[in-house]
Amino acid sequence: MANETHDKHRILVLATETCAYPGADNVGQIHAEYPANAYILRVPAPVIFPEKFYLDCFDKGISGIIVMSCGHECPYPKAYDRLAKRISEVHGLMKERNLSPDRLRLCAICTVCSKSFLKEIRRMNEVLAASA
Amino acid sequence: MSRKGSGELRSGGSGGNGGPRVGVYICHCGGNISDVVAVEHVVEAVRKLPCVVIARRHMFMCSDPGQNLVLEDVVNEKLDRVVVAACSPTLHELTFRDTLRRAGLNPYLYEHANIREQVSWASKSDPEGATDKAIRLVAAAVAKACRLRPLEPLRVGASRRVAVIGGGIAGLRSALDLASQGLAVALLERSPFFGGRAAQLDQVFPTSDRASDLLAELMAKASVDPNISLYTGAEVASTSGYIGNFHMKVTLHPRGVREGITPDQARAAIEACPETAASEFDYGLARRKAIYQPCPDCHPPLPAIDWETCTRCGKCAEAAGEGAIALEAPAREIDLDVGAIVLATGFDPYEPRTGEYGYGEHGVVTLPQFIRMLNERGPTAGRLTVDGRPVRNIAFIHCVGSRQVDGIHAPGPDGKVNDYCSRVCCTATLQAAKEVRDRFPDVNVFDFYQDIRTYGRGHETYYEDTSKQGVLFFRWTADAPPVVEAATGDPDAALVVKVKDTLTWGEEVEVPADLVVLSTGIMPRDIGSLVEMLKLPRGADRFLQEVHPKLRPVELAVGGVFLAGTCQGPMDITESAAAASAAAVKASALLAKGHIELDPFVAGVDEALCTGGVGCNSVCVEECGAQHAISLVERREGGETRLVAEVNRAVCGGCGMCVAVCPSRAIQVEGWRLDQFESMVDALLTVEG
Repeated sequence: MANETHDKHRILVLATETCAYPGADNVGQIHAEYPANAYILRVPAPVIFPEKFYLDCFDKGISGIIVMSCGHECPYPKAYDRLAKRISEVHGLMKERNLSPDRLRLCAICTVCSKSFLKEIRRMNEVLAASA
Repeated sequence: MSRKGSGELRSGGSGGNGGPRVGVYICHCGGNISDVVAVEHVVEAVRKLPCVVIARRHMFMCSDPGQNLVLEDVVNEKLDRVVVAACSPTLHELTFRDTLRRAGLNPYLYEHANIREQVSWASKSDPEGATDKAIRLVAAAVAKACRLRPLEPLRVGASRRVAVIGGGIAGLRSALDLASQGLAVALLERSPFFGGRAAQLDQVFPTSDRASDLLAELMAKASVDPNISLYTGAEVASTSGYIGNFHMKVTLHPRGVREGITPDQARAAIEACPETAASEFDYGLARRKAIYQPCPDCHPPLPAIDWETCTRCGKCAEAAGEGAIALEAPAREIDLDVGAIVLATGFDPYEPRTGEYGYGEHGVVTLPQFIRMLNERGPTAGRLTVDGRPVRNIAFIHCVGSRQVDGIHAPGPDGKVNDYCSRVCCTATLQAAKEVRDRFPDVNVFDFYQDIRTYGRGHETYYEDTSKQGVLFFRWTADAPPVVEAATGDPDAALVVKVKDTLTWGEEVEVPADLVVLSTGIMPRDIGSLVEMLKLPRGADRFLQEVHPKLRPVELAVGGVFLAGTCQGPMDITESAAAASAAAVKASALLAKGHIELDPFVAGVDEALCTGGVGCNSVCVEECGAQHAISLVERREGGETRLVAEVNRAVCGGCGMCVAVCPSRAIQVEGWRLDQFESMVDALLTVEG
């Protein structure tokens, strides 16, 4: 599983505690593998993070961020739409800083979306490998 | 550095100067973690972190000795923060919070690092990467722990009603156990009749009780229990809410028959009906009318109309007389507020493909069909005949649709083979074989098996009895299964079963049979949109998956939802009833007080930082997704009045929408503060392995 890209790049995964985090657990439970450069942080809802949080992460050395939300299944009213809008705004700020918006990805992962989870990790690693 | 028992690595000097004193515990989880992650290396790396006073490893942190390590260290080392790196927090975060509570420490001064599901199990082929990842995740957890604050749980009201979905034997058992604890129960059965798969059985092992008697006893109690509301034709249309406070909309499909219909009216209506369909109760071996009762002792003892077959010709209404039939009755919707949900949705038997072990040929039936044939009230009135001819030779073939091997067996529509053992079929087959020998001593019985797995108490007796009663056994392997073919030139049997018998060192054996019974396995039932609605996790075998098979065997990751019976995997009635009672106990314990304690992870305002709308236009109030969770209130300070934001903790859901927009960072969600996340990211990136 390990290769040069994985050693070099660190991917931050912000996973919602009701959907994506148990979804990530499910991936482990079925013993599916993904590169060890993906670090999953459990969050109640990623809408909690201001734009600056993402930009700071990149400044600090995080290579890519995947925001794994509950999508429209989000248990918090209005939160997903607000999150999507904010991620779009961060994409704009990233372009101003010559950061590829592909390095910040918003997706929806459910408790049993193991294939989608693996696909998102693979895709981000491909983005990072291509940009290296 | 000195090393003590249990892999303790004592740190010198860390955690001094009045800062947090963190204890870190790395779990081997038997070998689930330590077979991949170099646990000792993690301990050594972690002990170098500031604030870490002690770092230890243990074979099973969740065990009593593991928890006692924490208890003792909290006291002896004056720890004020604890980090455990182990399995998913879904499993043991509460366990260790409780450990802290028992040690006299606020339980929210605890942080959990997931190094099993999200490290060792997900990086088996990369031990080095997994170890590095584990170190970084533990460092992040330590960084967060250093910034944790003591918190108190929130108490919210919980409904003392439970929805039990599925009215088979597990659902009934669970409903009765819940009701006995004083909880209100809504028992929802999708079909028009209670009883589930058990209603289609006759004698059940190992007690030889009649399934109909067991069901009658449970139904008699459930139907008079004032705490239980029974619904047939009940389909869950939607669910929302959370543990303690679920809201369900349930569609009740009309029965088409008035409750006061008399047995004579019911009989007349059924006789008058001109439409027929294959009887699902008899697994297609007989036909039934569009208005039907599957068996004489069905529950409730009323006919129902199969709306897909009914043409609404009105002949049943005409025959039954005025008021007995309601052909135009509409479906209606009811709302249920429940604190917990018990899933007892059952299973489906495996349906062999045409040609699989001769399935589709005359004289090849499944075990569920054969059990119906043996029933005196079944489609053949208990007679063993094929095309009117009495059966003289029966061959049973085990493991049809179970223990399938990828590459040998054709996958199902979802591309998967059933590689699991269905567990109950061996004993069920032997019980059927014994019944044949008991009731039809002239009929020869041949049994083709891979392994005899009569695992339960009293089950092996069926193997011993059938062996003594002259049943002939043949053993085969997965790569050389029996072949069922039409017999040529044998007047006594229409079929022949050919097998390479490993009991006789590979001898090719041909057995004549006029009835071949395929011992079909247990399949996960398609429960439609329930999986999506409730976000139910399923295992690789597609059955619903519990949080942990030993530690939380009837709980799902979705809080407040419990598993009862074969929706979880193959079980016999004994095991289903046990699981159903366990689910009832878990739900009862959850709702017993009428309230539940929730984590206090809601927003809070640092009034010293809040500008009360000055310079921010009270954007937190505007942004809030929960109704009126945040408002501006007046505060008197030094003779002056100023506005500050205030959070209604009972209403706040803790989403954090307000946090992101507050320019002064005055508002934070406790337990998920921004500074905690920032420190986690810093630690992830800077820790040295």
